[in-house]
Amino acid sequence: MNLLDVKNLSIRLTTSLDEILVVDRVSLTLKEGEFRGLVGESGSGKSIFAQALFWLLDDKWTISADRFHWQGQDLLRLPIEERKKIITKDVAMIFQEPMSCLDPTTTIGYQIEEALDDSEFSGFFWQRAKQRKQAAVKLLHKVGIKQHSICINSYPHQLTNALCQRVMIAIALAKRPKLLIADEPTAAMETTNQGQIFRLLSSLNQLKNMSILLISHELEKISHWTDRLTVMYSGQFVEAGTTEQIFKTPFHPYTKALLSSSPKLSKHLAKKTRLETLPGTIPVLQHLPIGCRLGPRCPNAQKHCVTAPQIRNFQGHLVSCHFSHRRDY
Amino acid sequence: MLYFTLRRLYLLSFTLLMLSIVSFSLSYLFPGDIIVNLSGITNPTLEQRIELNALYKMDDSVFHQYFAYIKQVVNGNLGISMFNNAPIVDEMNTYLPATIELCVTALFIATIFGVTLGFIAAIFHNKWIDKIILAFAMIGYSIPAFWLALILIVIFSILLSWFPSSGQINLLFDVKEVTSFIFIDIWFSDIDDKWLAFQDALRHIFLPAITVAVTPMTIFIRLSRTSMLNVLDSNYIKAARAKGLSNVKIIYHHGIRNALVQIIRQMGMHFAHLVSVVMIAEVVFDWQGIGSWLINSIFQRDYTAIQGGLIAMATFTFLINIFADILYVTLNPIERYKRHGA
Ligand code: SF4
Repeated sequence: MNLLDVKNLSIRLTTSLDEILVVDRVSLTLKEGEFRGLVGESGSGKSIFAQALFWLLDDKWTISADRFHWQGQDLLRLPIEERKKIITKDVAMIFQEPMSCLDPTTTIGYQIEEALDDSEFSGFFWQRAKQRKQAAVKLLHKVGIKQHSICINSYPHQLTNALCQRVMIAIALAKRPKLLIADEPTAAMETTNQGQIFRLLSSLNQLKNMSILLISHELEKISHWTDRLTVMYSGQFVEAGTTEQIFKTPFHPYTKALLSSSPKLSKHLAKKTRLETLPGTIPVLQHLPIGCRLGPRCPNAQKHCVTAPQIRNFQGHLVSCHFSHRRDY
Repeated sequence: MLYFTLRRLYLLSFTLLMLSIVSFSLSYLFPGDIIVNLSGITNPTLEQRIELNALYKMDDSVFHQYFAYIKQVVNGNLGISMFNNAPIVDEMNTYLPATIELCVTALFIATIFGVTLGFIAAIFHNKWIDKIILAFAMIGYSIPAFWLALILIVIFSILLSWFPSSGQINLLFDVKEVTSFIFIDIWFSDIDDKWLAFQDALRHIFLPAITVAVTPMTIFIRLSRTSMLNVLDSNYIKAARAKGLSNVKIIYHHGIRNALVQIIRQMGMHFAHLVSVVMIAEVVFDWQGIGSWLINSIFQRDYTAIQGGLIAMATFTFLINIFADILYVTLNPIERYKRHGA
């Protein structure tokens, strides 16, 4: 069964001037125990999309979708408060800049304990307090923090960013989520720390069968860990498939350009040759092209591209392009 | 923490130094004889003059004169009042406590109501309740204190006769002045109806305290509203929402403290504002405090009193500021703890 099945989710931003379609009909299907990567440049709407899955956005944003199923349950039929309740019960999220996501004036220990479910403890309040503390320590062990006593009594600013992210993961684990959304969890971290965080996520994925949606702008860096990848560009769905499909046979011109712009992946590169790139930059929100938003930068673009392409499915390899590279392989 | 306190004390001593220089130079800047301005003795006899010259080292350089002056100040000699020949220090002992009482009560009212209203406005951001509170803050901020005082007197003392319009306590209560803090004096006095006297004193302080509290309260409303809005917009609140915590819990456990930490310092700064309003309110309500005393002294060209009052008020304001700073540090763990070797 699909854990999460979202079809054509759109997000509009209402400003004082006009309405901007920030995310344009993006679909995402997640299976249980899947490690999924969501890739896109900054500004591609991937973070907003993830937050919309949580219904965490404030009044400026309007979310609409054709389908939003969570474990087979149609959430769109429920009032928004109910949706939030169901989602926050089973889905946890960690963000970039973990330090800013922890309350600066409260100890780490308290913030972990706060996330624990009260109904799991029994006895008098002092017994419960002890159980809570033990549970918090256990969570810290799970994310690989061994000096739990120091950590529990610390305030966020006393820890490093990487440690804070581990704490965030511990907090996320407190409610035993079925899905963990990680929004650029390793941004601004050293490479060794990045690897450790990814390894931690991957082991949680394998040991606990917890699905993970890893959001990143670095396709290469996360491809080692992911089962499947979804690529977004400027708020539109681009391509989705297994990591192998995406890397070996990218159908979409954008994905293709993304891969060939990376020196490690384009193997037969002579020394000092230029890397292939697409001309131009990602469009700003105020000036989005109509139809396929890659249009102005796309090498394959033709007249037909001013109408937005539909998503087509080729044996689980989804692509949204009128003139894809499918026949090249 | 120790380092912080030491730094504050250093700042305090430096400010006091500047203050004393200003107040010393006033005796040169005020018209009239310097020695008269310093001592307050308006028509000194020849002997007195010789004595004072020796005391204030008038024959030495300005530098020596300054230190002689400081020595006198430290010994508690601020001269005598030119107006009624009473030692300034004694005058202050009688008047300053009443002002402190009024200030503290007003500050208390302003903080409790201002911060609560500000937080409520932020929590219901852009709802009607937010708009009402903001409008109230705007009106309160625009009303001049003296006018508000008069209106309050008209309504509550003259029309409704709920609260007395002047004084600190009904003269029927024969409370002996010991500390000059009226509430403390009542507590330690041996009159029979302490409770009644207490109530009476409360009723007397009510209108002046409200008058003084309104302006700072409106400032606090806006400060705490902005600060709470900032906090509610921060990443950790978003993360707490993702944790699935209820709104009440988020505000109670994470909102209030963080918002308070941000405003406490600024509240200390606005205390100076409160002090200036207190001076006006004291005159209107005939409150026997240092503010009305100081204003009277200005009218009477009582230079020694002006100097003394200046020192007293400034020191008091500064002490409150330091207190707010220390409170800020105790509440804020970022200032309290160093990072672990990261
Ligand atoms: S639809 Fe057209 S513009 Fe868009 S990616 Fe495909 S070829 Fe390029």
